[in-house]
Amino acid sequence: MSWSLARKVSAALVALLLCTGLLTAVFGYYKFEDVLSSLVRSRYSFVVFTIKKNVEDRLNLGFALRQLRQIQEAIELEKVRDDQVLGIEIYDSRGEVLFNTDRGGIGTSVPAKWLEPLEATTTQPFSLLDEDAQLVGLPLVNTLGKVEGAVVLRFPAAFLERELGQLLGRLALELLAALAGFSVIAAVASYALLGSVGRRLGGMERTLDKVLADGGFAEPDPRDEGGFETRFAEFVLKTREAVDHISESTDEVERLDRLA
Amino acid sequence: MIRRGFLAGLAGLTALAAGRRAAAADASAQPRRPYRIYMALFRGWEEAAQGFKDYFSNQGIPVELIVRDCAQDKSKLPEFVAEAKALGVDLVFTWGTTVTQEMLGTIGAVDPARHITDIPAVFAIVSQPVGAKMVPNLQSSGRNITGTSYLVPMETQVNLLRSYLPVPILGMVYNPLERNSLVAIDELRELGAAQGFSVIAAPVDVVEGKPVAAGIPGKVAQLKQAGAGFLYIPPDTFLNVNRDILTQAALDQRLPSFAAAENPVVTSKAMFGGVYRYYTVGQLTAYKAEQILVHKVPPRDIAIDAPKRLSIILNMPVVRALGVYPPMNLLGLAEVIDGPEIRP
Amino acid sequence: MRLDSSRPLLIRLFILAVLVLVPPVAIVSYWAMGEFERGMIPEMDKKAAVVGRDVTAQVERAVDLGIPLDGLVGVDEFFAPILQANPEIRYLAITGPGGRVLFARGIAKETLAGHLMRAAPAGDDGKAAIGPYLDLALPVGSRAGIGGQVHVGFDQGYIGTRLGDIFYDIVVVLAASLIVAFEILMFVVFFNITGPMKLAAAVVDRARRGDFTHVPGGVSGDEVGHFIRTLSTTIRRADEQFRSLMAYIDEVRTAHFDKTVVERAGEIAERVRFLYRFSETGRPLVIRDQLATDIRLPLFLFVFAEEMGRSFMPLYAREFGTSFAGLSAEMLMALPIVMFMVGITVASTWAGAAIARLGTRRVFLTGLIPAAGGYFLTAFAESVGQLICLRILSGLGYALVTVACQTYIARATVEEKRAQGLGVYVGAVLTASICGTAMGGVLAERVGFDATFVISSLLAAISGWLVHRLLDAGQDGGADRNDGDGDGKSLLRLFANWRFSALLLFAAVPAKMALTGFLFFLVPLILWKAGLTLPEIGRTAVLYPVVMAVLSAVSSRLSDRMGWRSGLVAAGGLIGGLGLLTPLLPLGLDAPTGVALAIVALGISHGLSASPQLALVPDVCWIECQSFGRTKVLALVRTVERFGSIIGPILAAAFIPAWGLDGAVVVLGSVVLALSVIFMLCSFAFGSGLHIVAEEDEE
Repeated sequence: MSWSLARKVSAALVALLLCTGLLTAVFGYYKFEDVLSSLVRSRYSFVVFTIKKNVEDRLNLGFALRQLRQIQEAIELEKVRDDQVLGIEIYDSRGEVLFNTDRGGIGTSVPAKWLEPLEATTTQPFSLLDEDAQLVGLPLVNTLGKVEGAVVLRFPAAFLERELGQLLGRLALELLAALAGFSVIAAVASYALLGSVGRRLGGMERTLDKVLADGGFAEPDPRDEGGFETRFAEFVLKTREAVDHISESTDEVERLDRLA
Repeated sequence: MIRRGFLAGLAGLTALAAGRRAAAADASAQPRRPYRIYMALFRGWEEAAQGFKDYFSNQGIPVELIVRDCAQDKSKLPEFVAEAKALGVDLVFTWGTTVTQEMLGTIGAVDPARHITDIPAVFAIVSQPVGAKMVPNLQSSGRNITGTSYLVPMETQVNLLRSYLPVPILGMVYNPLERNSLVAIDELRELGAAQGFSVIAAPVDVVEGKPVAAGIPGKVAQLKQAGAGFLYIPPDTFLNVNRDILTQAALDQRLPSFAAAENPVVTSKAMFGGVYRYYTVGQLTAYKAEQILVHKVPPRDIAIDAPKRLSIILNMPVVRALGVYPPMNLLGLAEVIDGPEIRP
Repeated sequence: MRLDSSRPLLIRLFILAVLVLVPPVAIVSYWAMGEFERGMIPEMDKKAAVVGRDVTAQVERAVDLGIPLDGLVGVDEFFAPILQANPEIRYLAITGPGGRVLFARGIAKETLAGHLMRAAPAGDDGKAAIGPYLDLALPVGSRAGIGGQVHVGFDQGYIGTRLGDIFYDIVVVLAASLIVAFEILMFVVFFNITGPMKLAAAVVDRARRGDFTHVPGGVSGDEVGHFIRTLSTTIRRADEQFRSLMAYIDEVRTAHFDKTVVERAGEIAERVRFLYRFSETGRPLVIRDQLATDIRLPLFLFVFAEEMGRSFMPLYAREFGTSFAGLSAEMLMALPIVMFMVGITVASTWAGAAIARLGTRRVFLTGLIPAAGGYFLTAFAESVGQLICLRILSGLGYALVTVACQTYIARATVEEKRAQGLGVYVGAVLTASICGTAMGGVLAERVGFDATFVISSLLAAISGWLVHRLLDAGQDGGADRNDGDGDGKSLLRLFANWRFSALLLFAAVPAKMALTGFLFFLVPLILWKAGLTLPEIGRTAVLYPVVMAVLSAVSSRLSDRMGWRSGLVAAGGLIGGLGLLTPLLPLGLDAPTGVALAIVALGISHGLSASPQLALVPDVCWIECQSFGRTKVLALVRTVERFGSIIGPILAAAFIPAWGLDGAVVVLGSVVLALSVIFMLCSFAFGSGLHIVAEEDEE
């Protein structure tokens, strides 16, 4: 397959345009996801923080974590208030679930990795990824400065895609349309730009053929003083001259040959 | 009032076996015989002792507590030392400065015959562990004991007080016979110089070497006259006993009052207080005992400190009666005592 | 527009690229921003509700405890941390009965009161648009008669500002795309138009003077290819006619008995030969040309691949943990950089010999295997030990590839145009460095370190594919002309020339130390510690190649014109050293600004001194260059220089435990500055008594 100059250049431009568009879209999407999920996470952190405050105030009164029965109602209330919350759990430093919005889960053990943040930090919020849920959690610290356990809130991991699928789909279409439109522009413009190169080369080729076949002169563009086309015209002339000379010489030799 | 030792709930034992980390921490990893702790008390079973005991049951650590109360009688203490040694307990808990000094010995005066030396000990409710010559500094006792302090540092108290209402003049009624109060005045004045408030201190009258309670309302009125905006109530035994007179006088003078101890707020009419609750201090002491018994940390490596979190107690009927409301942030942190309306 | 000159066409094409690439990205980004802002409002509502509920609960508690709503104390201090922790919330306020604003923070009471007065009554959900804000009102107290409300206000503009960061990412992507576009267009134009047309012009120039000995080579299918074919067909046809004439004449001369005819034929042949020249070999010779620019795109892509990891390599190393073979954590972060440099040093000592035997194309492709493989496997490295091994591998490959490119360019350019050829190399490396550093940060932030290394390996692979496809296999190879002799041992005698040693030890080595120790190693660590994101680190580090690119063009002209090369080198060294002392400046700069200043200083430093430094080598050891060959001397310079690259990070890492990050910068800067000062002092003596030492050595 032969590729014209314009096709090569427009292919390069379109490929670049697509890469740039795609890259920008991907970065834009990730950024948006970042901002949105940090907003969502900050909301849940806030909820978790209010629960933590509530629990620690009671721990400060000397109650043991497992005795804080009112907390069960408090976390259930928080879950009712927000239908995106999958569940809220409070577990102790050994990993036993003491309170859970899903009451069936009380008394079970949490995965070992949920205990890791309790050893590393004492006051920093942590986030974890469950199978299909994200978690934000805060350690619960008693008045002795000892981590008694943690409260975690689970929310769906794929909320962004679900909530904003339509919006993102529309944006993707718009992006594709814009890329397609500008690809066409790129192609047309590169044909226009490189067409002249092709035309001039074609013109020179035709002149060459014509002069060699029929004789005459190549007419260089007068503006192209000393440029390629002027030199090419000289070349055409010289070639014609050489060909003529050689064929005249051939005729001469032939004549000599026949003469004998 | 002497309670015999008892066993912490069997539930605690099963919790220990189930608990992943506790089991890992316990070298034997087997349900072992309960730790035997000798508790020497000064004036009966109270909040600190309860906090100490509850900590072990909450944590599921099996302990056998041998509880002895000297009922403020110093002479019984040598018997306690002998008994603790004879029983060969794992740890000794001492309550209060007197018991602690007598049973564990002060720096430079420790006698293995009269004091407990080989058995690790924890002390609680010692107001000045350094001043009482129990430890050279709060980082390490340098010997086989550790403990907790329970007095809120003066600066913390002042910051708390001033976060409620930054008054320019602080009033204080005190018992000139109590050394703690004199120390408190000095500390307050020093902080006042740095933070820009002044302190007026009115000593209660002393008749025949004894402070007189009847003069307290007059002293409070005198402070109010002098322009005091807040009454500071030091942790003073005499004032503690007469707290109703003192706090009622402050209320009558419409003078907000701050107490460095629990009782004036909880069981009387001081407006608010910042304290380490005895219960919490007891729990913290038990936490240190756990470090020694379960985690085998030498007592000398455990610093002497106070609970991390201050208990802020607000006496709402007094607040309402005075109309001096706490800032929202303070309210958010505070425990609230509420009750029927009272009138100044 | 001249057909055999690339500039006008390139400019037009590049303008086209800008016009095609920038608007769609800008337009769609603008749309998307608006959509995103609207898409986030529901989440903002929920956040406001959560915060509002908490505030309301606390206010209710106070009210329930008997504190009158208008008697609340410390509300400002109560609101402040909430507003600070939740920046999307612009204000919090409490209103009393009748909508009187009792407390407000983040907005003036009067402003809020005005807004509330004018606003339409809130719906059932308590939401209302007031002024520029969205206001959520929550009633205080279940008990009747309080009539208070807590107001939480947020504005949509917040989302815009949060998304604003993406602007920089888009700018980086666009800038990188434009640079890549420029490189590709340049490649397309040179490879397809300018290169062949130059050949055509050369052939045409010969032929118009009657010399038909050569035809242009090249077989592309485009218009230029077609033109070239027509051109060579024409020449071949003339050549064939010439040959048949000659054959005929030969036949006549050998077969003919008439001597005059033979003589006449001979004269005719002589005349034709006199007027026109044709190839002696029986057919026209095909001329091909190696263009320095042919290798530019592969080189660009390859360096791009390597530079991607530049801005985060120490941070990546840190992720593997901090214990290995008893080395300090800092040293472990420095080792991947150091070992890469070691790899380069080792490979570049025998890269020249390999090229002499295998040719540039094969060495390029051979070098790509460890390089690209190294990047790829780095993505799956599991320990710092593995990372270090892979970096050595990549370093070996990097040296082979870059030396191959240098040799290719050197062979493609005639001696007089060496500078131009060097420009191709430096240009490709600098633009790739700009793109790679900036894009690496952005990519690593979005797709992670590992995926970024995979992308690196892909880029390197593309570069290899280009070389494989486009460079003729046959035509290169063969030994480089051996300029000068002298084995390694006698080469060491160069160090007896104190000017040469001074240039190396006090100018070249400290320059590299500052580059690797500061820019490659300390900069990522400091900026990361200062809380900058990876794209921000990349954008800061990219200042170096940008400043370099701008300055090196100026400085080479400056040094040639003024002939003051040693002065420029000394000045460059001093600026670089002083730049690293910025942490000492009492300007109260934050860490990122200080680092940026130091990076700019380093860019200026190297921009000023890099090309004069190279040009200075033949100046200070002219005789040695004659006897050993300039190539060998320059290779020695590069090797010694690389020791600077190696010790830079090691020194920096050793300084950190004692003096901290900033301290390490300052101490490293002091070392660089001290060496530069020594060089400056030496350079004063450079002018006097040229080459005396060298001449004595010659005896």
